[in-house]
Amino acid sequence: MSAYLNTRVSLYSGRLWQDEALDALVGVPDEAMADTLTRRGLPQLAAAYPLQPGRQQDPRSLEQRIIAQILDETRVLIRPLSGAARSFLTFWTARFEISNVKTLLRSKMTGERPAAVLARLTPMGAFGRLDNQDLAHAEDVGELLRRLEAGPYAGIVRHARRAFEQSRDPFSLDAALDQGYYEGLTLRAQPLEDTVGAPFRSLMASLIDRINLVWLLRYRFNYRLPPAQVYYLLVGSRYSLPSSRLQELAALDSLEAVLAALPSALQIQLSGVTDISGVFARMERAAAEQALRVLRSSAPDIARAFAYLILRERDLRAVRAVLRGRHLGLAPADIRQALQRAPPEVS
Amino acid sequence: MLRADPLLRIELLMLASEAQDAALMLARFGVFNPAPCALEALEESPAVAYREAWLEAQARLSKLLEQCGDTGPLNIPADAEAPALADLEELNAWLKEVWTACLACHESEVQIAEARSHLDALEVTLARLERLNVDLAHLLHPDSLLAVNIGSLPVEGLKRVTEALAMTGHLVSRFDQVGEQVFAVIAGPRARQDEVRGLLAQAGWRELPVPDELRTHPQAARSWMEQERTRLNTQSGAACQIMDGLRDRFGPRLHEARLRLALAHPLAEAALAGVRGRGGLAALSGWVPKRQMDGLRTTLNGHFHGRYWLDVREPSAGEVADVPSLVRYPGWLAPFVPLVKSYGIPRYGEFDPALPFAFTYLLLFGAMFGDIGHGAVILLLSAALTRRLGRMAWVGFAAGAVSMLFGLLYGSVFGYEDIIEPVWLSPLHDPIRVLIIAVGFGVGFIVFTLLVNTLNKWASGRIGEALFDSTGLAGLAFYLGAVGLLASLAGVVDLAQPAGMLAALGMVVVAAFKWFEAKAGLGERILVTLIESLETAINLFSNTLSFMRVAAFSLNHVALALAIFTLANGLGTAGHWFTIVLGNIVIIVLEGGIVAIQALRLMYYEGFSRFFSGDGTEFVPLRLSSQQAKV
Repeated sequence: MSAYLNTRVSLYSGRLWQDEALDALVGVPDEAMADTLTRRGLPQLAAAYPLQPGRQQDPRSLEQRIIAQILDETRVLIRPLSGAARSFLTFWTARFEISNVKTLLRSKMTGERPAAVLARLTPMGAFGRLDNQDLAHAEDVGELLRRLEAGPYAGIVRHARRAFEQSRDPFSLDAALDQGYYEGLTLRAQPLEDTVGAPFRSLMASLIDRINLVWLLRYRFNYRLPPAQVYYLLVGSRYSLPSSRLQELAALDSLEAVLAALPSALQIQLSGVTDISGVFARMERAAAEQALRVLRSSAPDIARAFAYLILRERDLRAVRAVLRGRHLGLAPADIRQALQRAPPEVS
Repeated sequence: MLRADPLLRIELLMLASEAQDAALMLARFGVFNPAPCALEALEESPAVAYREAWLEAQARLSKLLEQCGDTGPLNIPADAEAPALADLEELNAWLKEVWTACLACHESEVQIAEARSHLDALEVTLARLERLNVDLAHLLHPDSLLAVNIGSLPVEGLKRVTEALAMTGHLVSRFDQVGEQVFAVIAGPRARQDEVRGLLAQAGWRELPVPDELRTHPQAARSWMEQERTRLNTQSGAACQIMDGLRDRFGPRLHEARLRLALAHPLAEAALAGVRGRGGLAALSGWVPKRQMDGLRTTLNGHFHGRYWLDVREPSAGEVADVPSLVRYPGWLAPFVPLVKSYGIPRYGEFDPALPFAFTYLLLFGAMFGDIGHGAVILLLSAALTRRLGRMAWVGFAAGAVSMLFGLLYGSVFGYEDIIEPVWLSPLHDPIRVLIIAVGFGVGFIVFTLLVNTLNKWASGRIGEALFDSTGLAGLAFYLGAVGLLASLAGVVDLAQPAGMLAALGMVVVAAFKWFEAKAGLGERILVTLIESLETAINLFSNTLSFMRVAAFSLNHVALALAIFTLANGLGTAGHWFTIVLGNIVIIVLEGGIVAIQALRLMYYEGFSRFFSGDGTEFVPLRLSSQQAKV
């Protein structure tokens, strides 16, 4: 089984996009796009490009097709896994379903018709645990939350419902769902960090530190929430930014002060950054570099598989940017500028 | 029974305003399988809104019926018409109104239940506060610099809330826990109360309503608690009355809504496959059995008096893979069909394996589990459990009967081999003969599957595969030649030379076919041809040997019985009979189960996999939701 996963991850890693390939994609003619995407292992995206005129258009959005591609690959990687590793990667896909939950909740707040919201939900395939048809036909937010509470995400939703009932604020719903999801992810990562060790822990650290720092900055300086509430909304962390450090950071009054109070490694990583989107981009880039190091190392299979999925998702976001840019008729130079993202080669 | 009914593709064009009636008529007709419309000129989807309204109304009705109970059996009058879109939307709006009222009552009941459970927790908490004899009046005094809150929050959030509140100079003191709720006192500077309000709401903090009496002394809270309980009971009673009122007031209308939604179901269902239209026209497309085409025309004329246009054609070669399979089975064969379908659905035009499956499965089961007594037990159990097992009881009934028949042939009754003489042979005394018969049966079975596969390939137009592939005629020639050669070497027949030539010819043709089929470079082509040709020989050989398990299990059956008799004979009278009875139960349950699975495995992997692609589409007729399938 281990040999299977190892080989599979190595084969998949050949599908990752280098800068040059993305650059070339910007200039591929429309009629050759389906072929190019299929050759790069993206049949789900190629489905949107009819090779023959009159062929029926794939009704799914670009985002839905990207997620379908990720789910397809995750399903293959999960096949030989069991126990904590399987549970972790399965839950990693659940964030798409949590996103569906948020879409459903927003649709109930705006009174959107079930058919319209159903078309916007991401099809989860074999990973789907929710009955979207049933949920979309709930009459209001209250009924929807009660139905969700009887389902597989009861723990996450119960907390979100209590928060919503107290405040009636859609923000508190979203924040509670996100926090609940990432708390669940770190809980599932714990046994793997113990057994798999540093490579896996480094991937989780990059992910959770980035989420916590970006959320902290956003809640504190965009939404102007009080420090105590900001701290409460973050994910319990045991990585570079532990709880005590997050408390100190949340109490600071400006973005500059927060960046200056970070641990030295993060300070170096974020030197010269002046806004929250810059923090996100720089930390994401660092996370991708770390994932690439793990993928190319002889780390345990689950760590390499997770690293591949992180990189693949980032790649597909870049591909989406190219396809969307082309669709909107942007100049190739503008699209290329938006693609300043790839991590440098690991020496 | 052995092949799917020939189907015709129809495109039925009618006025868009009559689409729901056309769908209803087709559902009543009972043998129309909707399919995506291929008329490119019709670019609109006129039934999408209808389906949307139907789905919403149906969801609301289901929830209402769940709350109010069933409204009784639904009888759909033969002349009832399907509601138009406007009627359906009106019905949907009414159902929304009723459900919203019902939901408010339901939500109120849920909240009352939560409030009761909170009150229970509060009662426990107050009892503890009582023992502390705390002066809460002093503690909760609103004019002090200290703000104090008493309340509860989920236990999982306590640590984080405590840490967050510490950032604002607040202290959290937990004094009780009931279930997953922690009761705590939060105290901090009143000047910073605004900072913690959002945090507490986010954390699901629930303030305890501390009554004035409690502020003076906890003992005084008893009467307040009683008042609260009475108030909740009154509220709950009021909610129940509203719900009961809904049932009484809207019961008949809900039944009417059920009827109208059942009548609207066919068009909503057909819309899923794709009803196309343009302007005032709509088109329903699908498949209808050829032999019922005249009946369909008559029905259409009766309903629409010429206000329709019907295009009928045979399925084209390119769309055969999309044509659903409609196979009619006699009642006695129907119970075996789910066992075939659990492997797959035969493609349109493909040989349907249900009939040979039923015969062969029973034959294999009987041969492996031949015993008059054990067969009788299975038969009687199946008869006794007919009501619970439904039609599947017939499979058990037939398996029991065949087991009894083979028991008679083997001379075996509850494992005893000396009560009656075997009519044919005793596996224990003639094991080699049993093995030869099993392998001989396997040869016959594999020849049959290769022939069927050849016919299937031929029928689907894949002539090359039918003639030259390893599972076609060439593979059959190789197999028959190889069997003849082995039989000659064993001295059974004297056909070594012609059999060898036939085998060689078959293998050369198979290899040549693989060579031409492989689209690769020279090296890979050689490799593919060699490996696949070798695989053909190995597969056929190993599949034949698989049938030795039939003999092995028939011997195993006797051996198990012998082991039980040996154990029983070493015990006293009571122990002897106890062991015999228990041993026979073990044989029936354990070995019977294993044999049933092994027979199924032989059918699936040595039989079906050779000729049955199983990737066909089942014919699913449009029908009224309360109507049983006619097919």
